[in-house]
Amino acid sequence: MISTRVVFALLIINKAGGLIYTRTFAPGLQRLDSNDYLILAGTFHGIHAISRSINPAPPPPSSTTTNNPSSSTNSLPTHTPAPPPPAPSSTAGNPTRKRPHTTGIESLESSHFRLTCFQSPTGVKFLLFTSPEQPNTDVVVRRCYEMYGDYVMKNPFYSLEMPVRVEKFERAVGGYLVRP
Amino acid sequence: MSVYSFYIFDRHTECIYSKRFTQQPSPPRTTNPAASTLPNGGTTVPASLRQANKDSDDAKLVFGTVFSLRRMCRQLGGVDDQFLSYRTAEYKLHYLETPTQLRLVLLTSPQVGNMRTVLHQIWATLFVEYVVKSPLAPTEHQGGRGVGNELFEEGLERFMQQQQQQQ
Repeated sequence: MISTRVVFALLIINKAGGLIYTRTFAPGLQRLDSNDYLILAGTFHGIHAISRSINPAPPPPSSTTTNNPSSSTNSLPTHTPAPPPPAPSSTAGNPTRKRPHTTGIESLESSHFRLTCFQSPTGVKFLLFTSPEQPNTDVVVRRCYEMYGDYVMKNPFYSLEMPVRVEKFERAVGGYLVRP
Repeated sequence: MSVYSFYIFDRHTECIYSKRFTQQPSPPRTTNPAASTLPNGGTTVPASLRQANKDSDDAKLVFGTVFSLRRMCRQLGGVDDQFLSYRTAEYKLHYLETPTQLRLVLLTSPQVGNMRTVLHQIWATLFVEYVVKSPLAPTEHQGGRGVGNELFEEGLERFMQQQQQQQ
């Protein structure tokens, strides 16, 4: 019996929008050449940024945001040092308040596949292409992030922002995502 | 669920209808005094005009996003693949393209499910009935002419209220 739950591909985009890793695990997506993948990564990087700026949701009421930090500091009186708390509260109370930080595209659905995007705090994006039926894609993509941390970032011979050519990472990702 | 905004784009990529269902915060009022004290004051743009500019810019950005994502989906999934929706932590964008290349875009809160049927209903029961069949509406809606008529506006308003109550 053929399962319909498949991971098609994994792409890693560095913080400048360059493609540093691509690997296909199962057929199902169209075959693209490496140049097309590079263009795709750059395009997605741009759209991700735009999707943050077109956020139509009204910001949460400012009164609650100004109250929250004070209540949280009250609950942890000994832990927070004195100087930092005034700074965030003053920016929150500022009339020209900034919009809260938005995440950008987290998941995209089309009729043939689903794309789950995970952005690390340092701006590296993990794009996981799966079939629409695949559950728990956010867990899978986080696991890939952990592997990247373990095998790529801890590799002393890896230079930052460069294409990932790490054999251990290849093996780990393959063992995790390729179906037997 | 809450609906944030709704856009219709025609086949010439022009935004022929847009509607916002939420009030945007009005920082211009608070920043205006500060802006007038700046050396480049004097050329202050009225808040209403700035809002209109921002709305049209937003519509262009929405179209650009949708257009690129649709192209990306076609490239990866094959020619018959359709872009359906994307989700961020703050909102979700739903997309429907009709055979006449009319594009309907709906932005809602992120928790809602598939809104494709809803968009299709808007197109079939509101757009076709009140705009396409209207004898006063031109075939090409340049600059949104003939789209924002009373019946369509009213129908859309009622339809959205129904949706928000249902969910």
